Amino acid sequence: MTAVRCVELCKTYRQGEQDIKALDHLSVDIAAGEFVCLSAPSGGGKTTLLNAIGGLEEPDSGEVWIAGKRIDTLGKGALANLRLQQIGFVFQAYNLIPVLSARENVEFVMQLQGIAAAERHEKSTALLQQVGLAGLEDRRPAQMSGGQQQRVAVARAVVSGPALVLADEPTANLDSKTAEGLIDLFTDLNNIYATTFVIATHDPRVMAQVPRLIKMLDGRIVDDIDQRAS
Amino acid sequence: MLAGQSVIARLAWRNLWRQPRRTWLTTGAMVFSNILLVFMMSLQFGMYALMIDNSLKPLTGHMQVQARGYVDDQKMRQTVPDIQQLANKLRRQLGIDSVAARAQAYVLASSEDRSYGISVLGVQPDFEIRVSSIPGLVSEGRFLEPGDVDKIVIGKLLARNLKVGIGDSLTLLGSGLDGSFAATVMQVVGLFDSGIAELDRSFAEMPFKQFQEVFSMRGAGHEIVINAANVDAAPALRSRVAAALPAAEDLQVIGWDRLQPGLKQAIQADLSSSFFMYTVLVILVAFSVLNTQLMSVLERTREFGIVMALGLRPGRLGRLVMLETAFIGLMGAAIGAACGALCTLYFSVNGLTIPGMAEMGAQFNIPAQIHPQVSLLSLCAGPCTVFLFSLLAAVYPALRLRWLHPVEAMRAA
Amino acid sequence: MLRLRILFMLAWRNLWRNKRRTLIMLAAIGIGVWAMIFMTALTQGMVDKMVRDGITALPGEVQVHNPDYLDDPTVANLLPTADSELQRRFGAAGFNQWATRLRVPAVISSERESRGVTLLGIDPARERQLGFVDYARVQGRFLYNAEDDAIVIGRALAATLETGIGKRVVIMSQDPQNNIADRGFRVVGLFRADLESLEKTFVFTGKKTLQSLLKVGNHVSEIAVTGNEYRNVDPLYDKVRRLVDEQVVVSRWTELNPYLGSMLKVMDGFVLVWVIVIFLALSFGLVNTLVMAVFERVREIGLMLALGMKPSNILGQIMIESMFLLIFGLLIGNLLAVASIAPLRGGIDVSVVAKGMAMMGSAPVLYPLLRIQDVLLANAVVLILGLLASLSPAWRAARYEPIKALRKVD
Repeated sequence: MTAVRCVELCKTYRQGEQDIKALDHLSVDIAAGEFVCLSAPSGGGKTTLLNAIGGLEEPDSGEVWIAGKRIDTLGKGALANLRLQQIGFVFQAYNLIPVLSARENVEFVMQLQGIAAAERHEKSTALLQQVGLAGLEDRRPAQMSGGQQQRVAVARAVVSGPALVLADEPTANLDSKTAEGLIDLFTDLNNIYATTFVIATHDPRVMAQVPRLIKMLDGRIVDDIDQRAS
Repeated sequence: MLAGQSVIARLAWRNLWRQPRRTWLTTGAMVFSNILLVFMMSLQFGMYALMIDNSLKPLTGHMQVQARGYVDDQKMRQTVPDIQQLANKLRRQLGIDSVAARAQAYVLASSEDRSYGISVLGVQPDFEIRVSSIPGLVSEGRFLEPGDVDKIVIGKLLARNLKVGIGDSLTLLGSGLDGSFAATVMQVVGLFDSGIAELDRSFAEMPFKQFQEVFSMRGAGHEIVINAANVDAAPALRSRVAAALPAAEDLQVIGWDRLQPGLKQAIQADLSSSFFMYTVLVILVAFSVLNTQLMSVLERTREFGIVMALGLRPGRLGRLVMLETAFIGLMGAAIGAACGALCTLYFSVNGLTIPGMAEMGAQFNIPAQIHPQVSLLSLCAGPCTVFLFSLLAAVYPALRLRWLHPVEAMRAA
Repeated sequence: MLRLRILFMLAWRNLWRNKRRTLIMLAAIGIGVWAMIFMTALTQGMVDKMVRDGITALPGEVQVHNPDYLDDPTVANLLPTADSELQRRFGAAGFNQWATRLRVPAVISSERESRGVTLLGIDPARERQLGFVDYARVQGRFLYNAEDDAIVIGRALAATLETGIGKRVVIMSQDPQNNIADRGFRVVGLFRADLESLEKTFVFTGKKTLQSLLKVGNHVSEIAVTGNEYRNVDPLYDKVRRLVDEQVVVSRWTELNPYLGSMLKVMDGFVLVWVIVIFLALSFGLVNTLVMAVFERVREIGLMLALGMKPSNILGQIMIESMFLLIFGLLIGNLLAVASIAPLRGGIDVSVVAKGMAMMGSAPVLYPLLRIQDVLLANAVVLILGLLASLSPAWRAARYEPIKALRKVD
């Protein structure tokens, strides 16, 4: 089954006098349960692609399908709902709501989904333990390190069992040891829950570890490597 | 140094426009308050001037010479002896004509079918016209003239109540200064319409000379009314009058504020309640400024830390914050004063009517339609106060900078 | 429900993120609301006292006169119906406060002074309930009954006339044929009133005594009726109207004293204007605070939107935050108002400007009057208009593009 399908995606930004093609007739298929890394130099279009998949940015043309459903034609409300129900996000920074504790941040999405308190509590406890934050449940983001904050974000992204987790440069602000730990966490979660992961990064440590590496340049895919073979 | 100042000023001005919405909202609070203050003060001062003028014009005048105690009791025997001579002397010494002697008695005035208790005033017709508006307010017939005998001018409502008109006769019954029975028959020659119901309903004026005979006054009267060029010039004239009074007799000169204590106190009462309201407005604006400036300082903690690390003294930064506030304050004052003045000008041309004003106005001798006047005081008082309080409110945020530590500040998120 | 709870939680926690700002805003709202209620209570207290005093000076909330009496209030214009008949009708109608009186202009003279006054022939038993004169504050005695041939005058008038209890004064008035009617009366009592003008204007004697002096037989000039609610005299008016003949005039107190009648309306208007002015002065700060709050949190708002929170929830969150701010501010303001008004319940002495207050028709003591409808008005205006004013920053926050908001750097 295809988790993500992009067909002939185009997106152009205007920056000063210049038109920048962030996506240039880009097509890609990602199967359910895959762990994919999008890599590109800065401005290569990986974030734009990720945002298009996540329904955060509308492409100029082309189609985006998530789990067999076309989403680029949906309205704002439907997109919000899609993100809420089916997609988990991990951003580069400012991932957490500052006034909520680690546990509350993890439960935030479930709360919006309307999941009962007991179930939320159970799931958030389990996941925080899994990401190695047992005992830190009641800390506010300001009281945690960058790596801990990203782990909370990861826990939140996967806790409600989304079909797809999108992560944009999740390791950019982390030291290498913490970054490796985070990638291991992604890999474990991918193995355990069979959740599809799409990670945009230019961090070589990440690129080296993933099964499928898609390299982009100027809005196009230049290389699509199955790293399991090698 | 000068160059340094202008850099700070330019920096302050630019800083304001980093958050234009916030700057405009803070300015807006000032403009709103200033418009209100300018307009309300113009309206109030205009109303007070009208109240004073309209209340003093008919009878009271700017000051009166009376026997001690007459102002409180108005008793017949609290007299000024040889009052005409004294009035003549005052006219000479002061060099003004607006000095008129009067005597007053309470009588029962009877026409063919009606009788009313009224107050009758003996006046010197040729001088009365210089101190009182009543001669000019005669709407039917004429005012008294020097040499008139048995002639009387009465209020229009009184004439209606007594069912008399011009040419009809009126009997006055009362008691003279010595307690004797006083009675006379007078002919109505004029009706005045002052618009002040109390006067129009129960007041009459007759020649001073005849009053002397009818009420056995023997040269005495009750008050000498003296008008200055305007109300503001009254106090100076009053001390000259006081100096001119014969020391031996028990006389005093009394200002309008004592003659009509209600007038001054009504103004004071109104002023103090408006003072309360204005204070609240100004305080609310000050809070708004305090909030804005405190936030703007807290927001820029890191930035301030950097410039302090570069060697700028905290005092300079404090001055920067004060200067920013001063800019906002000046904008608020200028825009507010201008809009307030425009608003006032509009109403000063077109007049302002408030529902219920007609009845309210009648109580305070002001017309139903008011034309507020912009004065320097009403234009500046409000905006200047708001400006000062805004600066005052910014002192705390500015002082906070003194305790700022560059390294900690730079670390602040 | 769950979603609402998280909105409340987020709003509540965000409110206290910047304590200083929130406290300043709460103080501002508190002071504003306090000023609204305090000033309103003073004003309403003053007006209430003025109207009550004014009605006491009439007295009677509804009065019946001969149509010519209002223009020409003399003995010639009495009610056509005999007093005994009026007594019978009004007595049977079940009013608890009513009286018939003879009211004429007169001149009162002592050995030394004369003054024009309003002479009232009354039935003291009936007038007691109307509150014309506070019987407890009469020095000497008040009239015994309608046949009493003594006279009661005001303290201030007695001072002017240099007369006193036990002394004789002469009353001069006219009978319907315009013959001078005069006779001597013995002063038996001096009454006090809050307004000096009342003490100087009114003079009382027995109704029957005056009727025979003026030779008017069994006739009176007016009927006065008072109910319990001066703000709503129409029912009383209707009831009185049905009792009297077509050709006589029935007047409400608002018509008899238009100054006070309009005062009531003007002051109600003033209260509304005052409340709105204060609110507007507050609203700038309120909107500013919310604008700042939203501005600081752009990234979080972007995050919440990206995670799938609906824009309407963002709007709701800011509105709830504003609501908390308003409600706490209102609470502080109301408490301050009650706390500051309670100790003043005994009255505020403003006798420094007593004559000025008298010119406005007010007594030299102010009794603040905290009316529940004024308090509700102030609270409702602040809450409703405050929420309306918050819509703009909240709306702005809800319309952020999640990606742009997330990317915002400071």
